[in-house]
Amino acid sequence: MDAITTQHKLSNEEIFTILKSFITEVIGEEFVEDMDISRESSFTRDLEMDSIEIVSFSEKVKSHFGENIDFTGWLSSMDLDQLINLKLDHIINYIETCQSSK
Amino acid sequence: MPVIQVKNKSVHIQELNKGARETVVLVHGMFSNLSVYYFNIAPVLAQSFHVLMYDMKSHGMSERCEYGYDLLSMTDDLRDLLDALHLKSVYLAGYSYGGLVAMKMAMRYPSRVKKLAVIEAPDPSDNETLSIIDIYSKEFLVDYINNYTDTTRMRMGKRQLDKNHRMYEYLFYETSIKEDMHNERFFFADDAIGNIAHDTLLIYGKSSNCLPSGRKLYHTVPRSKMTLIEGDHNLPIQQPLETANKLKDFFVGWQVKFKQINHKLWQALRLSYHH
Repeated sequence: MDAITTQHKLSNEEIFTILKSFITEVIGEEFVEDMDISRESSFTRDLEMDSIEIVSFSEKVKSHFGENIDFTGWLSSMDLDQLINLKLDHIINYIETCQSSK
Repeated sequence: MPVIQVKNKSVHIQELNKGARETVVLVHGMFSNLSVYYFNIAPVLAQSFHVLMYDMKSHGMSERCEYGYDLLSMTDDLRDLLDALHLKSVYLAGYSYGGLVAMKMAMRYPSRVKKLAVIEAPDPSDNETLSIIDIYSKEFLVDYINNYTDTTRMRMGKRQLDKNHRMYEYLFYETSIKEDMHNERFFFADDAIGNIAHDTLLIYGKSSNCLPSGRKLYHTVPRSKMTLIEGDHNLPIQQPLETANKLKDFFVGWQVKFKQINHKLWQALRLSYHH
């Protein structure tokens, strides 16, 4: 997916929809069909994503939301427990915060 | 997703801080992928360096390959990648089997390596990995993963278990990896290891079963120093920040520290002059 070119700030719901589509691209539709992806879904426990899949997901976030969002830097500030417990909602809130601080 | 073509093969790479003058290349271990560095270690190194990570053939998101898991082929792959990215000489670090790849690279292409860091490289002659290859089964994988889960707190569900099982089955039964790794069992006896002229940092876990391998290297590699960190063979997962900082301090080296001290002295002199 291409990087956002407009200054339009996405709503919480729009960000959620985009992130869900990234998850589907990364782990494949056949697996997503059996999952109920919610804001409370954790990447490792609920979505069963492994670290290389989270790398792939991160790349999609970076390329879509632009380099102004330091997604890798934000992830790197987390320890292992925080990464393991990372939920979709945390990322939505992070992206929203980045948008509103521009 | 950055996948580039290197000698007609797709290689998944990740780069951070692309504008920096000097490059650190990070080589992961067998049956792993670049994510071992991506989240914590690479961002710390990227504060000072351009950082390049790549997935080895058939690992992570790189293209599958039936042959070429010996150290000669693996260093050919690394050399080709450096050529493709126009990187003449880099700071090189490798973890586990990737540590052996990094050492072999320094032995074969000394001018392409500025400094060498080896994390938890095993001696292939007494390496448990070789026995793992021989007795591999899905039940074994479950045991192995449970142990990995205990020591790293990472969990693995059914989809991941199946995915890993498929990777192991492909590597063990459809590629030359068993034979290639087995043929490297005398690597530590190679006299050329004693001729590695690079500044070399050996990073090992205090409770790692690879620690004796590290001590052997310490006595063989002339310009090596050894540093121990709390943890076992899964050190980069258990202690990523400490591992990253050891690597960064080593690669940055005394030249930069000397400049920093000079700068501080200069500032102090200026201040005293103004007073």
